[in-house]
Amino acid sequence: MVTKMDEQAKLETLKELLFPDDRGAVEDISKRIQLLELIINDQKKLADRVDPLVDDKINAFTKSMPDTLGPTITATLKKEIKNHKDEVVDALYPVLGKMVKKYVAQEIKILSEKIDNQLSFIKTWKRKMRSWFGGPTEEQLLMRELASATIEQVLLIERDTGILKASYSVTNSIDEEMISGMLTAIKGFVEDAFKKKNQNLELIQYELYNIHLQSFVTHYVAVVISGNYHLKSKNKLQDIIFNFYYNFMAMNLDLVFNSKEGKEKKVRTIEKELLEQELAASFRDAKI
Amino acid sequence: MQRSKKVVILGHFGVGKTSLIRRFVTNQFSDQYKVTIGVHISKKVVTLSAEESISMILWDLEGTDSLDQVRDAYLLGTHGVIFVFDVTRPSTFQQLNSDLKIVSKKLPERPLLVVGNKKDLVSEKDLNELLLSHNISHDFLTSAKTGDTVEDVFLNLATLLNTDA
Repeated sequence: MVTKMDEQAKLETLKELLFPDDRGAVEDISKRIQLLELIINDQKKLADRVDPLVDDKINAFTKSMPDTLGPTITATLKKEIKNHKDEVVDALYPVLGKMVKKYVAQEIKILSEKIDNQLSFIKTWKRKMRSWFGGPTEEQLLMRELASATIEQVLLIERDTGILKASYSVTNSIDEEMISGMLTAIKGFVEDAFKKKNQNLELIQYELYNIHLQSFVTHYVAVVISGNYHLKSKNKLQDIIFNFYYNFMAMNLDLVFNSKEGKEKKVRTIEKELLEQELAASFRDAKI
Repeated sequence: MQRSKKVVILGHFGVGKTSLIRRFVTNQFSDQYKVTIGVHISKKVVTLSAEESISMILWDLEGTDSLDQVRDAYLLGTHGVIFVFDVTRPSTFQQLNSDLKIVSKKLPERPLLVVGNKKDLVSEKDLNELLLSHNISHDFLTSAKTGDTVEDVFLNLATLLNTDA
């Protein structure tokens, strides 16, 4: 009789004879799992293995970005620009305006110098004549001609409504909101009456004061100037206005594009206080 | 918080647009008629609550025979409208419906109040009969001369503008 113990021993011997490789494989798998556990649990080791793969993927993605994301980005930008056309044009206006103005100013300067050379003799005699016939003295007339222009007041006004957005003033005047409304009405009347499209009222003169009006798309800037306001002063003043307006529209665009309201086509509200600080900083010490 | 709003006052010649504004802004009235040429701008701040007020920039436009003649440049960016007619002169309200259509076309979706002025010159009975016979629907009947209901018009519009904002 074969005992139960013998059977068991034989079965083990038989197993060893039949599945030697299988045991080795199991041990091998077990070791690999232990190693993997070690790598996963050790962040640095995992990073050493995974990082090169991620870097490769990122590089590949960056290279393919123009093809994959380009059309989406272009479409989004187009949509944003379309939805906020006025603001974008308004923001570009000072930049383009500056370029055009500089070119035109240069040409005018050359022309003006030529004319001045021709007329200086006549001007001197005209001044002497005015002085001889009971007018101010020649020195006074010369001083008046040389007196530089001074900025008295600056108003940033919404173009359609005539509503005052911000102001800077050296001296107190009557209600600035009413002035803004009236200037807008005068501007609207003149521009409407002459029925010339894209023409803007640029200057209102009264005695010793000039009001320079610089129009943009959504707003305009009115500057009250005392003293001798001539082409050179206008040129300097426009540069200051363009710089201020560029900053103002940049603030506007930041607010527009930071807005999550998508299609909203509104000029966003900037704190009046902040705008007035900007105005004062731009115009307070300006020499024109 | 204070917001500025542009309000235009429209209507035919001599209906009392300027007088209404003068009564509201300075609480004054004059019998002498001075025609408005172009536009006259006034301003009054209307306090709605402790926190909210509306600075009403009032554009008193010159009277016209037809509202088609109003310069578009004056209407740009308008936030609210007051249309005024003279209850003693049917010619100023006979075309009211077509006038209001023109206003709505030029200024769509803006708060609009229709005001019959000079109510002090007509008895209440006659006034009601007149408005009924001409099928006139109005928001307020006022007298710039006595000041009756004038404040209510502007306060009502200020509230509408505040809600609209």
